[in-house]
Amino acid sequence: MANESLKENRILATPVVVFLLAMLGFPAVLDLIYSVSTVSFENLRDPTISGFGNYREVLGDPYFWSAVSFSTRFGLLTAALETALGLFLAVFLAPLIHRRFWLMAIFMMPMIIAPSMMGLMYRLVLHEFVGPLPYYLFEFFGESPAFLSPQLAFRTLVVIETLQWTPFTLLLFYTAYSSIPNDIREAAKVDGTRGLRLFTHIELPALLPTLVVAFGIRFIDGFRVFDNIYVLIGSGAGGSSTSLSIYIYTAFFKSADIGKALAASVLLFVVAFGLLWLVGWLLKKRRPA
Amino acid sequence: MKLRYLLPAVLLGALSTASMSAQAAVTVLGWPGGPEETALRAAAKAYNALPDVAAENKVELLFFSRDGFYDKLAADLAANTDAFDVNLIATYSIGRYAPFMEPVDLGAGAKDVFGDAVLSTMQYEGKQFGVPTDLSLHFMYYRSDLIDALLSDDAAKARYSEIAEKYLGKAMQPKKPEDWSWNDWAATALYFTKAVNSDSPTRYGTVLQMKNLLFNMMVFQSLPRAYGADWMDADGNITVDSDAYKTGLELYRKLLDAGATPKDSLSYEYPEANAAFGSGQVATMLQWNAAAGDLLSTEKNPVVASVTKTMAPPSGPEGRFTHVHGLGLGINKSGKNKEGAQKFLQWLATADAMEIYAKAGGAPGLTGPALDAVAAERPDLVPLGSYASQYGYVMRGATSASALSVYELQAKAFTGYWGDVKSLDDALAEAKSGMAELLK
Repeated sequence: MANESLKENRILATPVVVFLLAMLGFPAVLDLIYSVSTVSFENLRDPTISGFGNYREVLGDPYFWSAVSFSTRFGLLTAALETALGLFLAVFLAPLIHRRFWLMAIFMMPMIIAPSMMGLMYRLVLHEFVGPLPYYLFEFFGESPAFLSPQLAFRTLVVIETLQWTPFTLLLFYTAYSSIPNDIREAAKVDGTRGLRLFTHIELPALLPTLVVAFGIRFIDGFRVFDNIYVLIGSGAGGSSTSLSIYIYTAFFKSADIGKALAASVLLFVVAFGLLWLVGWLLKKRRPA
Repeated sequence: MKLRYLLPAVLLGALSTASMSAQAAVTVLGWPGGPEETALRAAAKAYNALPDVAAENKVELLFFSRDGFYDKLAADLAANTDAFDVNLIATYSIGRYAPFMEPVDLGAGAKDVFGDAVLSTMQYEGKQFGVPTDLSLHFMYYRSDLIDALLSDDAAKARYSEIAEKYLGKAMQPKKPEDWSWNDWAATALYFTKAVNSDSPTRYGTVLQMKNLLFNMMVFQSLPRAYGADWMDADGNITVDSDAYKTGLELYRKLLDAGATPKDSLSYEYPEANAAFGSGQVATMLQWNAAAGDLLSTEKNPVVASVTKTMAPPSGPEGRFTHVHGLGLGINKSGKNKEGAQKFLQWLATADAMEIYAKAGGAPGLTGPALDAVAAERPDLVPLGSYASQYGYVMRGATSASALSVYELQAKAFTGYWGDVKSLDDALAEAKSGMAELLK
């Protein structure tokens, strides 16, 4: 009986496994081969295996490390801002959203816009001659900052990303906040715990797992950012707004340096996998026996 | 019950599949989102209406986003796609795409329509790879009302001279745009800048396209070229660190630092620059000729259209130059209907086809009777051929397979200097070593 069930499971799982092997496994193997090859658009079907030169080139490229730094800073900062803002709004607006849940649909609107469209929209919004923001700044103050200059671009991008994705963390935190049983709050109140103390000692610990998940998801999304930045300012003056994804894209398509691009993508995969494994190990270690 | 609905649906699907395969067409991948698309649509419509065009040779058009167009095209061609039979090519990318394309025979009449110089923009290693549908070069757009006012006012001339001495180190006198050197243009741009001259009627004297983008490098290079710049010398040595390049790069940076171009210029490309000029707050702009149709249209740009004039880019010690390249259409080696593609391109290279194309907004470089036929309706096409032959240049190595990568490399290095991310010497050293690798 057990054997039959096992057989059925295998049969049922086969299409998914085949799909994953075809859609993920094949490109992954191809990536690995190309990353150790001399390859161009002309010999895509006939690459020459040439060792680890592409990896050495990537690791010795200052633009690669600059892209790693940009992605890390961008991912950490946007994740922190979105998490903090989402948590604050969820707690602050909870009574209002509880009574009028349709408001959540309005709060979610930035999130449903495609990131590339968001970049395009801000390209217009921030343009000195057609954008509303510089227009009103000139009207009221006679001056408007260069939002997309190399000196301000990073901050502008962080604000845009935060505005778009805070609704996501708001949704997560509101759901988690609403699911805290009221009898816990009432018990705490009976014991004289109120206001900030109630939040920091009772509600926040209950929200901690959501906070870790929200931060983690937003960091991953921020780290691999591509669309909105690329549409808005490309890779920036002197490559100053090159995220790791943009680095890989420009190496592959713009410079036709396919081996180098794929070596960078393999390195990114290895590091991401290592980090995930580390987080998993830490969580497992913390869990009580 | 289910069969009652299913059967007609299956039959309908089968019928539509059969009708699609019966209408196999010539699929043309064009340059999207600009006058080129409008013109190609008009030409394709005219071609399909011809009585002798067989059903299987009717033209269907395909467009995808302009952003990353050449990258997507490179990937498609390298994958031997048969999704299109005819695809766009440009002078600077022929070397990259030629291995995946077939030479095209345009017929003997093409020479009379385009002339040798324009036909050569679509040639690689002596073979014709496409029909030169659009010629791209640069115009200096300027506000004639502002320049006329400057030239007729002695007090303004004195102020102009003061500004030139302060910023460019030499007391200069304003000149007519036809006589501008790059320094005259820079002095004019500074004079019409609010941050430099509080009496300026415009906020900025010019708008520079300084985004890290290969097309912006093409716009920029006419300046250093006028000082003798080239990518390589006759022996193949990279010469991008020449004084000519330094002069050009420093002049752009000087104008940016002085506030003569919008502060966000480092994120500007074609549309942003046009929007700035069209607002009436900019006095001059070095821009592609393709912008003329919009900027000189009173419907599209009512503020500036009637007072905007164009001329060739300013001159330098080595002469007057404009970057020139052609956009065209050639045959995909892996296409399904290469014979039909050949027929369409031969037709497109005729005077009749080019008349339709030009009148619909395209910018072909025409000559002789073909040009005469459109001159009244498209006066902006008249100087194209003469500018191309008099001032046109192509840098050494700029049609090689690595040309696009060189432009990309320069864009990254030069914008780094303009954006104060790196020093001039570092930017030039980076460009030099990268170009040596790409052009070896």
